[in-house]
Amino acid sequence: MSGETVLRVKDLYKRYGDRIVLKGVSFEIRKAEVKAIMGPSGTGKTTLLKCIDMLVKPDSGRIWLEDLELTDPRIDIGEARKKIGFVFQEFNLFHHLTAIKNVMIGLTKVKKLPKDEARTIAERALLKVHIERELWDKYPAQLSGGQKQRVAIARALAMEPMIMLYDEPTSALDPQLTGEVLEVIKELAEDGMTSLIVTHEVGFASEIADEIMIMMDGKIIERGDPRKVIHNPRREETRRFFSKILKIGDESR
Amino acid sequence: MNLMISLSKYLPYIFEGSLWSLGLVLGGLGIGFVIGVMFSLIQVYGSSPLRRLISLYVWFFRGTPLIVQLFLFHWSIFPALGIKSTPLITSITVLGLRSGAYQSQIFRGAIGSIEEKQMLAAKAIGMNDWDAISSIVLPQALRIALPQISNEYSIILKDSAICFILGVMELMTRAKYTAIATGIALIPYLMAGLIYIGLTYIGTKLFDLLYLKMRIPGSVEG
Amino acid sequence: MSFWEEFLSKLSFGTLITLQLLTVTIPLSVILGILIGILRVYGGRIGKTLANLYVYIFRGFPLLVTLMIMFFGLADIGIRLTPYWAAALAIIICSSAYQSEYVKMSILSIDEGQSLAAKSLGMKRSTEIFYIILPQALRVALPGIGNEIIYMILYSSLAYIVGVNEIFSAAISVNSIWFKPTEVFLVTALIYLAMTTMASYGLKKLEHRLWIPGFETRRKS
Ligand SMILES: Nc1ncnc2c1ncn2[C@@H]1O[C@H](COP(=O)(O)OP(=O)(O)OP(=O)(O)O)[C@@H](O)[C@H]1O
Ligand SMILES: [Mg+2]
Repeated sequence: MSGETVLRVKDLYKRYGDRIVLKGVSFEIRKAEVKAIMGPSGTGKTTLLKCIDMLVKPDSGRIWLEDLELTDPRIDIGEARKKIGFVFQEFNLFHHLTAIKNVMIGLTKVKKLPKDEARTIAERALLKVHIERELWDKYPAQLSGGQKQRVAIARALAMEPMIMLYDEPTSALDPQLTGEVLEVIKELAEDGMTSLIVTHEVGFASEIADEIMIMMDGKIIERGDPRKVIHNPRREETRRFFSKILKIGDESR
Repeated sequence: MNLMISLSKYLPYIFEGSLWSLGLVLGGLGIGFVIGVMFSLIQVYGSSPLRRLISLYVWFFRGTPLIVQLFLFHWSIFPALGIKSTPLITSITVLGLRSGAYQSQIFRGAIGSIEEKQMLAAKAIGMNDWDAISSIVLPQALRIALPQISNEYSIILKDSAICFILGVMELMTRAKYTAIATGIALIPYLMAGLIYIGLTYIGTKLFDLLYLKMRIPGSVEG
Repeated sequence: MSFWEEFLSKLSFGTLITLQLLTVTIPLSVILGILIGILRVYGGRIGKTLANLYVYIFRGFPLLVTLMIMFFGLADIGIRLTPYWAAALAIIICSSAYQSEYVKMSILSIDEGQSLAAKSLGMKRSTEIFYIILPQALRVALPGIGNEIIYMILYSSLAYIVGVNEIFSAAISVNSIWFKPTEVFLVTALIYLAMTTMASYGLKKLEHRLWIPGFETRRKS
């Protein structure tokens, strides 16, 4: 995998009270690369993504988006966040806006585009995530979970981000709805969208990711080719982690 | 300097008004409580003409200003009924009737929030309707309603200031007389205002204590 | 002039004054209430403290006290307000303190995810507050704000005490000439009933119009 580095994270530390949640996380993602982060609950995956989008301020360590250092206190953080798409586990669609307005609001209020131009872009983004015209004027409460998450992806996508961060995008969905969301994420990745995905979907991760990083207790303890990490890990903890989630997966099937 | 001396002479005079204000509030709150409980029970369990009558009552007392109610009762309704009222009696009665309208809605909500399940349970163990209401539903409803009753206290306390229009010797009336006697208005009224804040604070704290005492672990909170 | 002629003509004039007072005080107090509510949540240490102090004082004072201070008290330090503006200011100040309570609560009830999503799109704080948080919070606060508006209709009658010629003062003046308290105060009461009833109806309609699918379920969760 070649190409320029889009995101570089170096030695990230974050503590909440006396609990250290991130203990020196470092990695890079190059253009069009897809990386998956997996690991048990409460090990700091969400915190890591939030730090990258500066929704949470890391205590130390540095983050670069191409040449722009996000951890530099002098930069305009709004400018930087525009270039990073964030997809939340709980969707976080704006409850008071219709699907299409959810996608448009970043374009009109942040990018200051005229309404009709914003609308055209929003329509394109919605079609890209397979949200058809008849759903555009529905409010979030009138959409299924899978539809909500796809609108949320369109909302991030419409800003034309340099990278997409997904935080367990299908964890809040009924099992039969995860497929449509994973499909969209996969299509975007295949189109060359640089992506960092936190997920528990082993099959999906191994299919789509160029690299899987295993996070445990605030550290990346293992990383590498998906098949190798999943089926033939170097570390005992990784093996135990996968045997546990694969077993749960078997039971629910 | 002179001014301060003459104002400080009036300080006990204004303070004494607190007793009158508290009298109005406790009287009003008490009458309102009795009316509120009765009317809420009728609104939940009563026959439909009775219920409509009470809705009318609530509509009237919540939809007209206290000052109009005071004059209406003092100059029209009481005389028509042959009752020779004093400003104090009119004030307490009207505050009570008015608060009854508000409290009936508070209790109605509280009863509604526990009624269904608890009634069934009470009947299941063989209680009749009245026993179930008086010993199961009502005590719980009162407990749930207590924070709102506390709020009602602070509302009536502030409303009681309006009774100065009839010349009841409560805080506002005394502040007014002090203002007239000293030629200074700002300080007496500010003092009255601070006393109202103090009375609200003390009353609310007492209600909080009562609430802690009455609270049953695990019961539904309003 | 007969009693009814004089009464009804004075009363209609008084009603106009009351309505005029309300057209000034309702919008201004709602706007001020929203601003103070915002300050109480986002105002930083100093803004929060000042706003909370304002609310503590003017929710603690009876409206009547604030009114007397506006009209008689401020005159002591050389600020002379007309009866109309003393009443309007007192009502606006008092009511905005109460409104801000609803606004503050409703802002705090909006889930954290809304703010995170707004930030992640690159919104500035002000954009987030005005385009994401407030449109939702104000819908939640609307019933409370509506109640306050009803109270303002009722308490506007206190303006009589500083000499504004509104409805109640018309009633008093007619009654002092004719002494027909039953007719005078009953009709006066009916006018207030009509105003409050229409206002509640209008507010219900407004709530209905601003309603968005799923809002009540969202409030519960
Ligand atoms: N705002 C916060 N304040 C205090 N502690 C927090 C905060 N946010 C997260 N934590 C704690 O930090 C730890 C890591 O949380 P994080 O959400 O990053 O984990 P995660 O790996 O995303 O877990 P999950 O798989 O459950 O989403 C947890 O123990 C959590 O309780
Ligand atoms: Mg997480």
